[in-house]
Amino acid sequence: MSKLKALFIGILQVVVLFLISMAMNKLTELLHLKIPGSILGIVLVFILLKTKVIKLEWIERGANWLLAELLLFFIPSAVGVMQYIPMLENEGLQILVVVILSTVIVMLCSGIVASRITKRKEKKSA
Amino acid sequence: MILGLICLLFTLAVYWVCKKVYKSKPRVYFSPLLVTPIILVVCLLLAKVSYTSYSQGGKLLSDFLQPATIAFAVPLYKYFNVLKKYMVEIVVSVLSGSVAAMISSAFLAKWMHLDASLINSLVPRSVTTPIAMNVSQVIGGIPSITAIFVIITGILGTMIGPVILKLFRIENEIARGVLLGTSAHGTGTSKAFELSSLTGTISSISMILAGLITLGIAPLFISLMLH
Repeated sequence: MSKLKALFIGILQVVVLFLISMAMNKLTELLHLKIPGSILGIVLVFILLKTKVIKLEWIERGANWLLAELLLFFIPSAVGVMQYIPMLENEGLQILVVVILSTVIVMLCSGIVASRITKRKEKKSA
Repeated sequence: MILGLICLLFTLAVYWVCKKVYKSKPRVYFSPLLVTPIILVVCLLLAKVSYTSYSQGGKLLSDFLQPATIAFAVPLYKYFNVLKKYMVEIVVSVLSGSVAAMISSAFLAKWMHLDASLINSLVPRSVTTPIAMNVSQVIGGIPSITAIFVIITGILGTMIGPVILKLFRIENEIARGVLLGTSAHGTGTSKAFELSSLTGTISSISMILAGLITLGIAPLFISLMLH
């Protein structure tokens, strides 16, 4: 496949994912669901793949592109912190302490529980 | 509009350079998610460009977050057999992590004497932005401030995560994925994909699960703990 064709297909697949997300947003709005449209979109695309209504090749390239550049899409929201500079000047340190300590606690809780269970399972099967 | 477009191109350029630097020197403090926004904020403040004008261009990038979230369906599908195999450990550990996130955020914030609306805004900070904002609204937080806490959590999570993995010798891919996805949502997941695609996939399912768990139990938790 030529590079140009690959590029075109990739872009087309991204557009498809865009359309799905727009449709899912509309759906959650109409049905007054509390779940965000994008989460519903994951479930829908997963089911469509699993039931072989759509083929993996139809979206794989575009999906991989989006996932590879995921951090880029968070940058504008991170820049948005600048709107809250006065709040952060006053309470930024306390907020930072909360976020850092709590994040460490969450990591230890989830990480240690997960490694304990997997270890126990491995022992059982060994 | 032209200013927005310039901001968009500038964002892409700074991100591209930061990513190059991070590739040649992969240190946590060179993470593009930390360095790019700092450079951009400093430039915007110096050039006296408001966030409103910036986000006219920046919004185009944020718009990609939704299709990118849906793109997680692809690794979920590819690794479904592995996920099924480890379902129990994923569910149990994400549940304990999510409960720990809410309790520790609320208590630490109280301990720091932050006011009630900030405490409530901090409670859902560890899950993906749309769910976090929704939860924040329901429990009496301020959704836009929650969005800021979510991104701060994401940035710090990608920095703290690798340190914790090393310090506590967490080498199992399942545990690594669960740890990153539960604690730092999408950004943690993107870090997890840097480690391996299996770790990334476990992280994406953990992120989704953590979001749904928080959506389900945060209102209950708030009414039990704080009133």
